[in-house]
Amino acid sequence: MSKGVQIAIGALIIAGLVMWLGASQSGEARFTYFQTLGEFQQNGTVGEPVRVHGFVALGTIERDVAAKRVTFAVQEHAPHAGGAAGHALRVEYASLETPDLFKDGAEVVVEGKLTPAGTFHATNLLAKCPSKFEAMAKEQGTRI
Amino acid sequence: MSDLGFYAQWLALFVAAATAIAGAAAGITRSDDWASVARRGVYALFGLVTAALLCLFYAFATLDFQLEFVAQNAARSMALHYRIAALWGGQAGSLLLWTWMTVAYAAAAITVQRRERALVPWVCSVLAVNAAFFLILLNFASNPFDKLPPQHVMSDGNGLNPLLQHPVMMIHPLVLYTGLTGFSVPFAFALAALLSGQLGTTWMRVTRRWTLWAWCFLSIGILLGGRWAYEVLGWGGYWAWDPVENASFMPWLAGTAYLHSVMVQEKRDMLKIWNFVLIGLTYGLCLFGTMITRAGLVRSVHAFAQTEIFGVLFAGYVALLAVAFIAALLARVDALRSPNKLESVVSREAGFVINNWLFMAILAVVFFGTLYPKFSTWIQGREVLFGPQWFDGYLVWIALPLLFLTGVGPLLAWRYASPANLRRQLVAPIAAAALVFLALLGWLGVGEWLACLTWGIAALVTTTIAGEFWRATKAKMRGGISAPAALRKLFRTNQQRYGGYVVHLGVVFLFIGFAGQALDTERLENLAPGGSLEIAPYRFEYKTAVALPKQHYGGAEARIALFKHDEPLATLTPEKRMYWLEQQPSSIPAVYSTFGEDVYVILTAIEPNGSATLKVFVNPLVNWIWLGGLTFVFGTVLVMWPHPSHPQRAAA
Repeated sequence: MSKGVQIAIGALIIAGLVMWLGASQSGEARFTYFQTLGEFQQNGTVGEPVRVHGFVALGTIERDVAAKRVTFAVQEHAPHAGGAAGHALRVEYASLETPDLFKDGAEVVVEGKLTPAGTFHATNLLAKCPSKFEAMAKEQGTRI
Repeated sequence: MSDLGFYAQWLALFVAAATAIAGAAAGITRSDDWASVARRGVYALFGLVTAALLCLFYAFATLDFQLEFVAQNAARSMALHYRIAALWGGQAGSLLLWTWMTVAYAAAAITVQRRERALVPWVCSVLAVNAAFFLILLNFASNPFDKLPPQHVMSDGNGLNPLLQHPVMMIHPLVLYTGLTGFSVPFAFALAALLSGQLGTTWMRVTRRWTLWAWCFLSIGILLGGRWAYEVLGWGGYWAWDPVENASFMPWLAGTAYLHSVMVQEKRDMLKIWNFVLIGLTYGLCLFGTMITRAGLVRSVHAFAQTEIFGVLFAGYVALLAVAFIAALLARVDALRSPNKLESVVSREAGFVINNWLFMAILAVVFFGTLYPKFSTWIQGREVLFGPQWFDGYLVWIALPLLFLTGVGPLLAWRYASPANLRRQLVAPIAAAALVFLALLGWLGVGEWLACLTWGIAALVTTTIAGEFWRATKAKMRGGISAPAALRKLFRTNQQRYGGYVVHLGVVFLFIGFAGQALDTERLENLAPGGSLEIAPYRFEYKTAVALPKQHYGGAEARIALFKHDEPLATLTPEKRMYWLEQQPSSIPAVYSTFGEDVYVILTAIEPNGSATLKVFVNPLVNWIWLGGLTFVFGTVLVMWPHPSHPQRAAA
């Protein structure tokens, strides 16, 4: 058996292992689907791990310290840019650990599952990082 | 002053274009006159871009708010050093800094390597094309010298993102850019070799130190990024497989593979085509990484926002460079075929080939995981995102064989390694690995077998490295010299090999730290003043919160007494800050750090009722990562340290 063939076999074994790993990775929490709130409300399914993008509706954040839970509503468009609060998604986040940028009107991504009752159970909550703020300043026309 | 910068930046574009043409003319006609025009062009380019950069620094120092870029990134309330650092806190300024670094490298490389007369003209040309591209971006898409319309000029600016106002963040971009732009030198020499037909090992030999230099800075830059995430972002970790992190990790992977495979060409005259491919890939990934971060190509927590034209220009340039490089390589493929073939699968060169395969496999996984989300919408109709578990779950199985190879590879002889000899050398390391693995498994339980396996392999690699040093030092000591003198002589006569072992030891420490993640514990608790929570053997007692009366930010600092086995250990003071000007909150964690573990506390919130919500982590072995980083860098310095007695250097 030539050395080239031996190497090719080795490479094939490595490639095969890598593919097998990929196939065996479809379990929970390994990957999630990303959707905007509008897309999610159209074709989101109950119980599927998903990340949903939206904006925190004004005045909806409630911290329940005793129950270690934060609830809020997410709407599709930025409230400051005139986005309506209609069809907002009710989110229950089972933690008190909110990101620093999480506040009224913040752009957020909630990760979790939709419950049959129609509330969203979030296990993770991300808020937009402000190195985007060149664009934000331009969008909102603030100060500049 | 800002006008001066504006015009210098414009003029630089024309000089870059002229230099590119002069360099190519010199390369084709072999005329010394053209060559000297090209060289002077590079120096002029360096002068002009330096002038532009200094003008922008001056604008930040004097707070020239007429400039849109200054107004967006600086504010009167910021200290001078952060105002200076604000230059690379935004897109346009960091792009100018990047351009300055590439032209500084170009000027330095053609000065130090001026004796390579056949290559230098093409090097000038390639690096001038590269600079011209960035100058096009600066002048047309993202100009730091753009002025605000007069009616919009205000007396104060937006200020730098407070998360970036941190000492590590001042230097992290500088270090990272020094690394990423540094790969332009070996890339330019490789392309020059292809264009000029000087296909020997010259291009590789003269750029060896340049490559190590760039690689060293890239490694430090990646580690500093992790350190910053750990100390500032306050989520308890240092690496999240964010696209921006991956963007700097991908060229590192390709560059590391390259550093290994060049040794095969030096010793055995093999893998010549592959080495060209690897250096092309490395620099391509440096550019590609900057592109995906800057052009907003991927969804990331901290990508720069950008206009569409920027992304189109960038993608066009990366594609153009890739096509040019591949075409040049294809034209020389026949001349590059090696007369030597792999003689045995159990040999040093085969070890390097497997090493390269594993690095490429990691690269493929990271590349796929970073970019697939972008294309998944077209393929699956929905956007798929990969979390850290996806990356970790995949990469463990490639990284562990690679770590194992770190231990075994150096024991393999070139051409053909005798199995009997190998077996004899591997007895002690494998025994050490088995001992560590089984002992830790007994202590921590079967559930942690993967972490235990990692530490076992770490023991194997450490033992082989120690064995290598021991055998070689003993051999040198036969001449009757002392052990330290023998060790010094070892580094002198075989700098690359023994310095390389120190780098490998750094890698071992890094893996020891990474595996510690398996034992991380975290708790979220709401505590009234006087209340406490326990993660054995630690107890955290929340005493009180005090206001933070600082100039730029307000907020609160929690005072937490830390006990271990009920003995008082330290007072931890995590902070929750609010930056007034930017209206941005920020959590600063408090860390009690030892070599065994880090106790890491985040003040999540002070609730309206006066209680504090705390998130507490006990992260074992994190300090091994920073220790590994230092060892790694020390090893790299040993490898590239110039020795006056070294014959190669003496000739140069």
